[in-house]
Amino acid sequence: MQTVEPVLACAPLPNVKEQGRFSPYTNNGGTVIAVAGKDFCVIAGDTRMSEGYSITSRNVSKVIQLTSKCVLASSGMQADIATLHKLLLIRLEQYKHQNGREMSTTSIAQLLGNTLYGKRFFPYYTFNVLGGVDDKGVGCAYSYDAVGSFERTPYSSSGTGQQLVQPLLDNQVAKKHQPNVLKVDVSAKEVEEFVRDAMTSAGERDIYTGDHVEVKTVTANGVVHQRFDLKFD
Amino acid sequence: MDSSYGLDLNKPLYDGRYSWFDHSKFGGTVYEPKPNDPSTRTTDPIVTGTSVLAVKYKGGVAIAADTLLSYGSLARFRDIRRIHKLNEHTIIGSSGEYSDFQYITRMLDDVVTDNHIADNNLQPMDPKSIFSYLSRVMYQRRNKQDPLYNNIVVAGYRNGESFLGSVDLLGTHYQDDHIATGFGDHIARPLLRNAYKPDLTKEEAVKLLEKCLTVLFYRDARAYYRVQICTIGEDGVNIAEPQVLQTDWSVGNVTYGYDGRRTALPQA
Amino acid sequence: MYATKSEYDRGVNTFSPEGRLFQVEYAIEAIKLGSTALGIKTSEGVILAVEKRVSSTLLESSSIEKIMEIDSHIGASMSGLIADARTMIEHGRVEAQNHRFNYDEPMKVEACTQALCDLALRFGEDRKKGEREEQMSRPFGVALLVAGVDETGPLLYHTDPSGTFVAFEAKAIGAASEGAQQTLIEKYTKSMTLSEAETLAVSVLKQVMEEQLTATNIEVASAEVATGKFTIYGKEKVESIIARV
Repeated sequence: MQTVEPVLACAPLPNVKEQGRFSPYTNNGGTVIAVAGKDFCVIAGDTRMSEGYSITSRNVSKVIQLTSKCVLASSGMQADIATLHKLLLIRLEQYKHQNGREMSTTSIAQLLGNTLYGKRFFPYYTFNVLGGVDDKGVGCAYSYDAVGSFERTPYSSSGTGQQLVQPLLDNQVAKKHQPNVLKVDVSAKEVEEFVRDAMTSAGERDIYTGDHVEVKTVTANGVVHQRFDLKFD
Repeated sequence: MDSSYGLDLNKPLYDGRYSWFDHSKFGGTVYEPKPNDPSTRTTDPIVTGTSVLAVKYKGGVAIAADTLLSYGSLARFRDIRRIHKLNEHTIIGSSGEYSDFQYITRMLDDVVTDNHIADNNLQPMDPKSIFSYLSRVMYQRRNKQDPLYNNIVVAGYRNGESFLGSVDLLGTHYQDDHIATGFGDHIARPLLRNAYKPDLTKEEAVKLLEKCLTVLFYRDARAYYRVQICTIGEDGVNIAEPQVLQTDWSVGNVTYGYDGRRTALPQA
Repeated sequence: MYATKSEYDRGVNTFSPEGRLFQVEYAIEAIKLGSTALGIKTSEGVILAVEKRVSSTLLESSSIEKIMEIDSHIGASMSGLIADARTMIEHGRVEAQNHRFNYDEPMKVEACTQALCDLALRFGEDRKKGEREEQMSRPFGVALLVAGVDETGPLLYHTDPSGTFVAFEAKAIGAASEGAQQTLIEKYTKSMTLSEAETLAVSVLKQVMEEQLTATNIEVASAEVATGKFTIYGKEKVESIIARV
């Protein structure tokens, strides 16, 4: 009689540990712009949210009014953006209770920088532009990287359409490479028109920018909200 | 007298592996867990459900999913409900890891009952509050690098208002008139976009989801023909019993290379 | 009821049946043993002036500090247990610098005073788990006069061991506070200049102090609207004010 060696159905356990493939980050796309004027600032952002090559939603806001004189627009990862926006609103409310007034735009700029740097080693995947009027009523814009470096600039853009929009801003707002053109103060109306053109251009060439645009114009008197459509493709 | 009968009483009887299995004979070594080992977490979903579809209609929301759970490419469980009622105003549907969905379901059931009891007016929790809570939980878990591997659709109807939102494993969340998770985002979403209108009736919405599920069944290898199409709206919550989709594969007979019956396209 | 007062003055968290916290009241009493300090607010700024008790001829009076800067625009004078005041001032300095770090702007005087009072009120708290700081065993035995300037103008606040703060136009604390406050009520006008306030402050001190006024046994400071700065006066400046009195 033949003896049969027992056949083991189960394979030995692998001793190599499974490597985690989970990435906590994604880029949901979008373009944001801020342009400061003499006594105003125009802040805009599209409302498209994407995941890979899919458009997950056409109407998700990236622009948030923080105070009567300050607006923040953020592109990048939607979950981080939503969290950052919520956190800032809480901090602003606490500040109001402790100091008896709204936080100034310059203070918000500093707070946002610190908040982003506070997560230096697990950053908020957000690309922010902040705009508004400062304590003197002068229009201002701030530009950030994801870990909190920031500077006050006359104009700025961020997000998937930045490469398309920023040269346009250099040329049309700062009049770069136009030696014979004089820089004159422009009105809020003119800047709104220009921002509209810039967002439309980004919508033409950047697949992650589209659907609608939210535009907020900040003056010492408050914030005016406008909205227009981009192509759905 | 020795009462241990030759056994080493300090050694556990079962040490987490079968002693008769000699790993070294198979080129393996046994990993002995140590107290300071890193904690473990879900790195891959194991038992998964495929797409969840949902669309708002006039006076409510319709939400649908099939009843299949896959284990990789194996159709593992074929009668599992992936749509769950939380309260009179809220239902949720899940794609992705089913065990994580069971965890979420238990957690939200607790949250919803706690809130209901705590509320003096005995009002059931609002769909948008449940959605917000769930979003924070999903986001916090992704921050811990220990995500809940799901894309959850929250559908609700309260005080004459429809609610429809989606949250994924990263905490990404949004509200929309129609939502499709997973493969459904590619296959069903364009159909939903085409067919959607604000004054869609309940019957039209259910019909639309049925059509989308059928199309998904044709093309999604992880989809199934047994489906639930549920509604929540003016007439309350309706968690429907599974139904069978009517499919038509006759197109295969005129396809070249299909089923070995035809080796070339028919000549004109 | 056989309750006596002594049964209710042990714990800082025990109310007496009349609704009083004796330990806090005793702490407020401690201030009445302290040297006199006063503050006067004008439209141009705030003046702080304090008496220094130089108990020995061999004592170096410059080592007695009863007016301290919290931030460049806020300062405080104190009466009572000066060591307690140092703890409070240090807390205020940290809060003021944190505010600058977080918000790139100076802290408002009221917010700073509130921060000081938040600390003063911690006597009633248990030590929280994982907290670095020791639990407080008693209320602070000190009162502060907080002077400063911010975007709302000049401000003067009085804080006491109960953690209460109140704004004043002119306020005196310490041993001779009753007489000094009476003089302030009589002599104070809203239209005073800063220089007139300096003179009034020092003359009130002169009135209530036993020793002869010198530049070494008083301290004077101002928070000025024009500069937006809090300044502790030097010897020459104090002497020139004494000369005016």
